[in-house]
Amino acid sequence: MFKYPAHADIDFSKFAPENPDLQTRYGLPQDVQFCTRCVISNQRPNSSVEFKHTKESQKQTIALDEEGVCDACRVAEQKHGTIDWDAREQELIALCDEYRSKDGKYDCLLPGSGGKDSFYAAHILKTKYGMHPLTVTWAPHIHTDWGWKNFEAWIHAGFDNYLCTPNGRVHRLLTRLAVENLYHPFQPFILGQKNLAPKLAEQFDIPLVFYGENEAEYGNPKTDVVSPIRSNTYYASKDFDNIYLGGVSLTELQEDFGLEEQDFIPYMPADPDRLEDVGVSVHYLGYYLKWHPQSAYYYAVEHGGFQASPERTPGTYSKYNSIDDKIDDLHYFCTHVKFGIGRATYDAAQEIRSRDILREEGVALVKRFDGEYPDRFEADNFAYMSIPEKDFPVASKNFEQKEMTKEYFLHLADRFRSPHLWQRAEDGSWSLRRTVWQQN
Amino acid sequence: MRPIRLIARLDIKGPNLIKGIHLEGLRVIGDPQLYAQRYYEQGIDEIIYMDSVASLYGRNNLTEILEHTARHVFVPITVGGGVRSVEDARKLLRSGADKVAINTAAIARPPLLKEIAEEFGSQAVVLSVEAKRLGKGGWEAYTDNGREHTGRDAIEWIGEAEELGAGELLLTSIDQEGTRKGFDIDLVRSVADRVSIPVIASGGMGSVDDLAKAVSLGHADAIAMADILHYDRMTVAEIRDQALALEIPIREIAEP
Repeated sequence: MFKYPAHADIDFSKFAPENPDLQTRYGLPQDVQFCTRCVISNQRPNSSVEFKHTKESQKQTIALDEEGVCDACRVAEQKHGTIDWDAREQELIALCDEYRSKDGKYDCLLPGSGGKDSFYAAHILKTKYGMHPLTVTWAPHIHTDWGWKNFEAWIHAGFDNYLCTPNGRVHRLLTRLAVENLYHPFQPFILGQKNLAPKLAEQFDIPLVFYGENEAEYGNPKTDVVSPIRSNTYYASKDFDNIYLGGVSLTELQEDFGLEEQDFIPYMPADPDRLEDVGVSVHYLGYYLKWHPQSAYYYAVEHGGFQASPERTPGTYSKYNSIDDKIDDLHYFCTHVKFGIGRATYDAAQEIRSRDILREEGVALVKRFDGEYPDRFEADNFAYMSIPEKDFPVASKNFEQKEMTKEYFLHLADRFRSPHLWQRAEDGSWSLRRTVWQQN
Repeated sequence: MRPIRLIARLDIKGPNLIKGIHLEGLRVIGDPQLYAQRYYEQGIDEIIYMDSVASLYGRNNLTEILEHTARHVFVPITVGGGVRSVEDARKLLRSGADKVAINTAAIARPPLLKEIAEEFGSQAVVLSVEAKRLGKGGWEAYTDNGREHTGRDAIEWIGEAEELGAGELLLTSIDQEGTRKGFDIDLVRSVADRVSIPVIASGGMGSVDDLAKAVSLGHADAIAMADILHYDRMTVAEIRDQALALEIPIREIAEP
C-alpha cells in the first residue's frame, strides 16, 4: 500500500452543473461573492500559520462588508485617504533614531528576494533613513535567470546579504508532499520565508526587523493594519509536537520519509524565549511609508537596474512582481483550483487598489488570464517534484507515482476542487460556476 | 537628405495617457488630448497613438480620442493597437488617422499587411515591431505590449513585412523603453541598413545626444519620443533647437 496512490476516485456527480446541493471545502464560504471595488472574491484565504497547515485545516477568508467591499479595499481607502503619512514617517524616523547603530553593528535586518519591493525597502532605509541593514534571503525553489540577476543587482546596490538555501532533497520532498496533501507547491518556500528573518535576527543579535507591506493590504483582517508590529504567531512557536511541513508531522517525516531532525532546522519557527532575550520586534515598513508596488518597480529600476521578466507570467499580465521562482507559476495555478482565484485576480486586485488600473480593466484581465496552465517551466518544475528512488531511497516508497507529470498534476487538481466553485462539462472540461466577469 | 522627423508617441489605456518601463508598470500620466495638443503647439512633426489594451478587449478604443485630436492637431497621426482587418484600418483612417500601425495581427497573418496596403496604399501601413534582445544575439519580435513571445527573429520578420507592403516601421526596443538610457543603436542600424522603408526608432531617449546617435549611428529616419516629453523633461522646441545645434537635419520651424 502506498500512502500516496497514483489514482483516487473522484465523484464527478458533485460537479454537475445542475447540482443543487453544493458542498464546500476548506471552510470556504458557500456563496461566492466578488468585491464591488476590486476583483477579489470572498473565497480568498487569509494568511495562515503554515507550520500548522494540514489537510484538515479550515480557512479564514477575506471579509466583505455590507456594501460588498473587501477589507483590502477598505485598507486601501485609508491608505489613500485618512492616514497621515507625514506623521507615520515621523514615527519611522523616531524608530530609526532609537535603533540606529553607532558601534559598527548592523541595526536592522531586512528579508527579501531582491525583487522590487525588498530593493526599495533596503535601499530607502539605508540612503534616506541612515540605517545599516543586513539583508537576508530565503532562496526560491528554482531561481529564474532574471530573478537571480535581480538578486545580485540588489546586493551590488550596496548591501550585505545572507542567502539561506535549504537542502535540495529535503525541499523537493516537502514540495511534493505539499502538493499531495495541500495542493500548495509554494508552501515550503513560505515556511522558510516566514521564519528566517526573526531567527537570524535573534542569532545576529539585531533586534529590529523590517518587513514590507502588511498582509492586510491584500485581505487579512483590516484591524491588523493599525499596528506596525507583526504578530509573532506567524513565526514563533514552542509547540514542536504540532508542527507540520508539507502537511506531514515531524514524526512521520522521520519515521516514513527518511528525514532526520537536522533536516528540519531551516523550517522550524523561532523560539519565542530567545526572540524575547534579544528583544526582536518585526515591523512593517508599509505601516510607515505609503507603499506602492508600481513605484517600487520604478525605484528599483532607477537605483539598481532591476529588470522585469522577459515575458508575462503565465496566468497573468504582469512581468514585474513575484518573478524569481519557477515554482511560483504553479502556485497560482493551484490557488485557482482550490479557491477559484488565480494570479491575474491577485495582480489586478492590487493594481486596482493602488489606482493603477480601473476595475473594468481588471475584470477583463481576469477573464483573459486567470487559471491559465503554466507550461513554460513545466520540465524543470516537474523534475523538481519527482521523487525517484535513486535520489529518495526511503521517501520514494510512499509514492506510487514517483514521477510528477502533467497528467498526474491535473489529476491531483481534480482531487482538490470544491464542488461549490467548479462545474464539469460532459466532455470533462472544467469551468467556474461564478466568475467576476459574469457577476456584479 | 529628407529631414529627420520628430514624433511624439502616446500610449493610451482606456481614457488615459500612460507610460511604463520596458512596457511594464504602466503609470497613468493624464489626458492624452491635452498632451497631443501641447506637442502639436510646440512643433512636433507627427503623433503616434497606441492603444495598449486593444488586444485585451479585442478592439481599438481610440476612435473617439482620434476624432477629437484630428480636429485640433494638424500633423500626421498614426494609430495602432487592435488593427486586425481592412475594416479596422478603414475605421481608424476615416476617424482621422493618416496611418495605421499593426503588430499582433500581422504576425498572426502576414498577408493582412498586403491587403491594407492594396486598399489604402503602403504609406498608410506602419509595421509596429516590439523587439527584445536575445542572449545569443539578435532580437525577438514580441506582441501584446512586450508580453508575448512570437519566436520570430525581428530582423527577418521586418524584411518579410516590407515585401508585403509595409510602408514604414515603428521599431520599439523593449530593453530600452522607458529607461532613458538611449536607443538600441545596434537594433536600429541592423534594421535601417537592411530595409528601404523609413525606420522610426522608439524606446530609450534620455537626451538629444541619444537622438543624434540614433540618426548618425543607427541611421534612423524618425525618432519617437515619450518619457522625455510626458514627464516634461524637455519641450519639443528645446529638443529641436539642440538637435539643430548638433546639425541633425530636422525640420526648421519659422518663428511665429
